[in-house]
Amino acid sequence: MTTAAAAGIVDQARAEGRALLSEVEAKAMLAEHGVAVTDTRLAASVDEAVEIADQLGYPVALKVVADEITHKTDVGGVELGLADAEQLRDAAQRIHAAVTAAAPGVAPAGLSVQPMAAPGTEVILGVTQDRQFGPVLMFGLGGVFVEVLKDVAFRVVPLEPRDASEMIREIQGFAVLEGFRGTEPADLGALETMLLQLSSFAEAHPEVAELDLNPVFARADGAIAVDARILLTPDND
Amino acid sequence: MPVTRERLHRTLNPQVVAVIGDKKASGYTWLRSLQTFSGKLYSVQVDPNEIPGIEELGVENYASLTDIPERVDFAVCAVPRQVAPFIVQSCVDADVGGVTLFTSGFAETGEDLGVELQDKIYEIAAPSGLALIGPNCMGVHIPRLGVRFNRDQPHDVEGDIGFISQSGTHGMNFSLTGAANGLYCSSLVSFGNGIILEAADYLDYLADDDRSKLIAMYIEGARDGRRLFESLKNAAARKPVIVWKGGQTEGGGRAIRSHTASLASDQSIWEAVIRQAGAVAVHNLDEMVDVVKATLLAKRPSSNRLGLIAMTGGQSVVLTDAFEKAGWKVPTLTDASYAQLGEFFNIIGGSYRNPLDAAGTIGQAPEHLDTIFDILDADENIDAVAMELSATFMARRWQDKPEEFDRLITSIKRFTGKSKKPFLAALHPSHVEPEALQARQRLQAEGIPTFPSFERAANALRKSSTLAAL
Repeated sequence: MTTAAAAGIVDQARAEGRALLSEVEAKAMLAEHGVAVTDTRLAASVDEAVEIADQLGYPVALKVVADEITHKTDVGGVELGLADAEQLRDAAQRIHAAVTAAAPGVAPAGLSVQPMAAPGTEVILGVTQDRQFGPVLMFGLGGVFVEVLKDVAFRVVPLEPRDASEMIREIQGFAVLEGFRGTEPADLGALETMLLQLSSFAEAHPEVAELDLNPVFARADGAIAVDARILLTPDND
Repeated sequence: MPVTRERLHRTLNPQVVAVIGDKKASGYTWLRSLQTFSGKLYSVQVDPNEIPGIEELGVENYASLTDIPERVDFAVCAVPRQVAPFIVQSCVDADVGGVTLFTSGFAETGEDLGVELQDKIYEIAAPSGLALIGPNCMGVHIPRLGVRFNRDQPHDVEGDIGFISQSGTHGMNFSLTGAANGLYCSSLVSFGNGIILEAADYLDYLADDDRSKLIAMYIEGARDGRRLFESLKNAAARKPVIVWKGGQTEGGGRAIRSHTASLASDQSIWEAVIRQAGAVAVHNLDEMVDVVKATLLAKRPSSNRLGLIAMTGGQSVVLTDAFEKAGWKVPTLTDASYAQLGEFFNIIGGSYRNPLDAAGTIGQAPEHLDTIFDILDADENIDAVAMELSATFMARRWQDKPEEFDRLITSIKRFTGKSKKPFLAALHPSHVEPEALQARQRLQAEGIPTFPSFERAANALRKSSTLAAL
């Protein structure tokens, strides 16, 4: 069940020969499917970014939008916690300078603006296509847990509620989500819901080859994806 | 035309078997292995040099399948690859139930000729509904009917394990090592290249097969992963399923741009698939034998708290370590249990906190073991019982005084017969290994799940505990 807007996003990317959707596009597709994502909008100019930030409310995060750049942080393309318009303008300049230096020749499509989400335990949710089993879902704790320890759990799509519950509890670092050294326990129900939504998203969008929600903030009062990346399957048309 | 369940059933419950192309150079291995077959065995061989040797074995030989006076249920084909398509055609013509192609040299070689011959076989077999097993496989083993592909495989014994193997060696090794552990197959199929029937087909069949109380499988890959997943799920909902996935397949070399894709190794996805389907993953033959054993012979614990009985203090410590490392808890017993134990337990050189260091107490009076079992059975802090049987101290003594070993077995069976709690025995390797081996085999023959190490016992009970009861 692909909605019109999602189909439009995919069609446009295909038409432009892009396999990687922008963060704004990816989040729009996910939001349409009910997945909790931060409200992220595209600004073509710094003035427009300020306008959007005024609407969303400060503090905001500002990120470079460019198809050629897979890891925005690596090229200095991310500025967080900007408290007002002045900080936003300074940050936009820093991003411009850093990206120009790190990725010369890349002409960014613009900047994305989103409100800073209240932090929580960082987790990663993702989708990939397995050669033998089709779409599979991944869950793990973010940061060092996923990068170094590879502490993640997989399930084949479609997930049943029991699968979502089990895969969260299967990871070695599960205790971190149960509340650790005074942190509040994460809302596991919200994570389970997000996994089930992603499962139906993957079913509805076979054209999605890879998807990362990284990080998702797992908080005591819910879960929200603050970054999203979608890579489409090769265009066969 | 798909292979019907009736057709596969006929193949795996044969009354008439034919071996095609057995020869002296291989020691007539197929016909010799099948000497134990309870039905009628025929040979098909046209080479006049080979026929006298076949007839010496007391097997009637015919020049072709269609000449055999009875309808053949199951055929074994051991001819060279170029001849294989003709034999498959004659199986179709003679209305053979199913055929296993031991012959190799097909698509697995990657050569054009091999691929071409395999395609030819497929084209002949697929429309006919012939239950074609293989090629490039060892075929079928049914101990109950004496159907074997190796002369050490058991016969004249009812088995309850349905075993599916993509590899002939691992299937054979399971049938042999399993039998040495008192574990027998209802039917075992090694399916090799699986061009007509593949793992999912055998899973579907065994899920419905009443003789197979449990399904065990060795697999390296699936042509249709989704179908395999569905078949696994269906089978695991009906009986315990244990899967050993061998080999790592390559990801396919496409550009990966996400964390998720970079972490999705073949092994991690298979582990997830097996778990999600409700089956249990094992990683080698020993673990397969152990988990099958615990699943068949031990009950399922209601939770993870263990009562441990050891013969010495040192062993009670490492026995506890081994089980706790595998996720078990070794809790204190109830006050009521301690009050009862305090009445008779010999605490000089022993203790009964849990683990129970009990050699002295049992040595004093063997009926004390019955009392210990009764106390652990009644104790609400305990879900399962494991016992260390010291080969070092006891194996030779049991040979000198077999009545003591008999008494021990009687006590264990009295407990397992009435308690809902699972029981495991561990008999460690020692300096008297031949005697220990005899003791292990006797315990196995009595249906007492016995493991050669504490770690293997602990792991087997943990893995089997998530599976459905029989």
